[in-house]
Amino acid sequence: MTDGKKINIVLAGQGNSGKSAVFNYLTGLHQHIGNWAGKTIEKREGTLFYNDYTIDVLDLPGIYSLTTYSVEEVISREYITHQKPDCVINIVDSTNLERNLIFTLQLMELECPLILALNMIDLAKKKGITIDFKKLQKIINAPVITTVASRGSGLTRIIDKVIELKNEKKDHKINKYGREIEYCIEQLSVLLKDINIRYPVRWLAIKLLEKDIEITKLVGELDPEILDIVKQLCENLEEMHGHDSAVVIADERSHLASQITREIVKITPGRKISLNEKLDAVTTHKFTGYLLMILILGGMFYTVFSFGNWLSGWFDTIFKDWHSWWINNVGITFFAAMGWSAIESVLALIQIALPYILPFYIILYVLEDWGYIARISFLMDNLMHKMGIHGKGCISFIIGFGCNVPGCLSCRIMESKRERFITAVLVTLVPCSAVSVIVFGLVGKYVGLAWAFGLYVFAMALIFLAGWISSKLIIGEPVELIMPMPDYKTPQLKTVIYQTWDALKEFVYIAAPIVVILGVVIQVINLAGWMPAISAFLSPVTVTWLGLPAITGILLIFGILRKELILVMLAAYLGTANFSDALSPQQMITLAVVSMFYIPCVATISVLWKEYGWKKAMAICVLEILFAILLAGLVKRILNFVF
Amino acid sequence: MNSKTNEILLTELEDGQSGFIISVHGGKMLIKRLADLGLTSGTWIKVIRRTLFSGPVQVEVCGSRLVLGKGLASKIMVELK
Repeated sequence: MTDGKKINIVLAGQGNSGKSAVFNYLTGLHQHIGNWAGKTIEKREGTLFYNDYTIDVLDLPGIYSLTTYSVEEVISREYITHQKPDCVINIVDSTNLERNLIFTLQLMELECPLILALNMIDLAKKKGITIDFKKLQKIINAPVITTVASRGSGLTRIIDKVIELKNEKKDHKINKYGREIEYCIEQLSVLLKDINIRYPVRWLAIKLLEKDIEITKLVGELDPEILDIVKQLCENLEEMHGHDSAVVIADERSHLASQITREIVKITPGRKISLNEKLDAVTTHKFTGYLLMILILGGMFYTVFSFGNWLSGWFDTIFKDWHSWWINNVGITFFAAMGWSAIESVLALIQIALPYILPFYIILYVLEDWGYIARISFLMDNLMHKMGIHGKGCISFIIGFGCNVPGCLSCRIMESKRERFITAVLVTLVPCSAVSVIVFGLVGKYVGLAWAFGLYVFAMALIFLAGWISSKLIIGEPVELIMPMPDYKTPQLKTVIYQTWDALKEFVYIAAPIVVILGVVIQVINLAGWMPAISAFLSPVTVTWLGLPAITGILLIFGILRKELILVMLAAYLGTANFSDALSPQQMITLAVVSMFYIPCVATISVLWKEYGWKKAMAICVLEILFAILLAGLVKRILNFVF
Repeated sequence: MNSKTNEILLTELEDGQSGFIISVHGGKMLIKRLADLGLTSGTWIKVIRRTLFSGPVQVEVCGSRLVLGKGLASKIMVELK
């Protein structure tokens, strides 16, 4: 293939602009999801084969600006300026044109070949918004194409334009700022001309005036004298406008966007209140909003757990047959047992992933695509703030109820490192579907359902308390919630399937290796005959302090692999699943409390490790072990008065 | 002009009331961040509703909906229309 037939394009846009839908439509199954070098931020790449051309598509993270608030923003602008893609496709939400245009103006400053995709044009029409896209094309001097990404409409026209652009060089349109700012830019441009940096000169000048930390440092290293001039120019600007120079520029950009919007957008007000308005009013209402939230989430958990228990039970019977087959055909030697424990770990993973995580994700992404998840963040923001995080953290908790692994991964949506960490720690305390097997299988069945639900309420109260304490202990300012409220729209099956598939794949990639390795290690300890010694060693804690049978020491070790193993292995040890023969109600509750909090499972630990480093991961484990033992011992003593 | 009396915090607006942003009190980063979202002085802003216990505010600005945390909303001064 000749080089000329290779094109490399980048998708850029704000959150909720439908960028993922465009990416999925263009690249289909030819996707590769990795990480940006040295960062825990997802890098989504894909390939499109179109009329002899091989087009590499890169999906930049969804961001709101190209300043240095977040790593995502820095990555994006570095990629565009350093890798020099053939074309940047700016996906714009047509129903939110003004806000999206601010970002477009920033992209234009990077002086890259640009195509604007006015996405969700159908929704805009429905809302009575008409956009004069030909005029917009003239204003920004770049092709503008209307699209409906969820249906794939308009996307081939974009690719045709990309190929057309590749073969002709076009001048970049320059957005003029106010006279004073332009004067400063001019002054700086002259000085910056001879500096060897891979950014456009005009852009550098603007960023210096905006006091961009990274660019200031970069230029300062090459020519510190320029910074003195920048300082002088900024001071002049501030004197004239009475604001920080960074704010002056951002303000002007924002005003320019609203001026362009006024020129090209016509809104015909709808005669009646739209369905979206009504739905929004009910679902975010002071009272009905909360009521509906409880109903929707309750329904979601009920569906997932009843489906999960059914499918998991079905898998149990099948895997049991496989185990007998293995024993009969491979034997019961040391290595055969090790081999089986490796297989068993993989099966265990399947048994969590398919029955629980898969349906959980499907429902979650349907809710997200519909637009409901943002409403939950809105409703829960106040409560979450008491825990030192904002409303979006609630989403991680909800996911954590299904499985802590994706719950911890989803903390990436939090803006600051501090909040990411607090949220992740709290998520590890959320009782996941495996823990619920213990709570309902033991306490719910033999002590009473009220006690089981009581434990859930207890867990939530503890999480709240832990959040409140950590928000006081971990220094740093809490970040305020700034979130666009999307309109409700019909969930697209394709989007939901893609998102579910991505999330499931990530879960398997992260969890599988560690689960298998630890499964084998524990089996080795078991086969070496060290287990009785370990349970004797742990008996001061398990027997004396917690009042449980000595065997629980071993159970709790296996439970690190998968929490519900505690119950499964207890049944195997007792030779019966009728736990009331062996444990008193008090012991059952104590065991359930320990199981709930004592340590995140291996898969979760591996995520913590990957995202926050091994030191923090280990610290969380040790703290939670101590905390759970202390707590369960206290619970046991309090229960003495009840039973 | 009795503009002074009309200047109130965004959090003091009733649901459904609207006004023009006069100023944002806060760090440079915050002001810039809001400007990038279209919230600059002179912008028309309308409070749609808030949650229980006067939590975050759902607003309409530049023809689209945004949710602003309570602490943030209390840093925005508006002139009541």
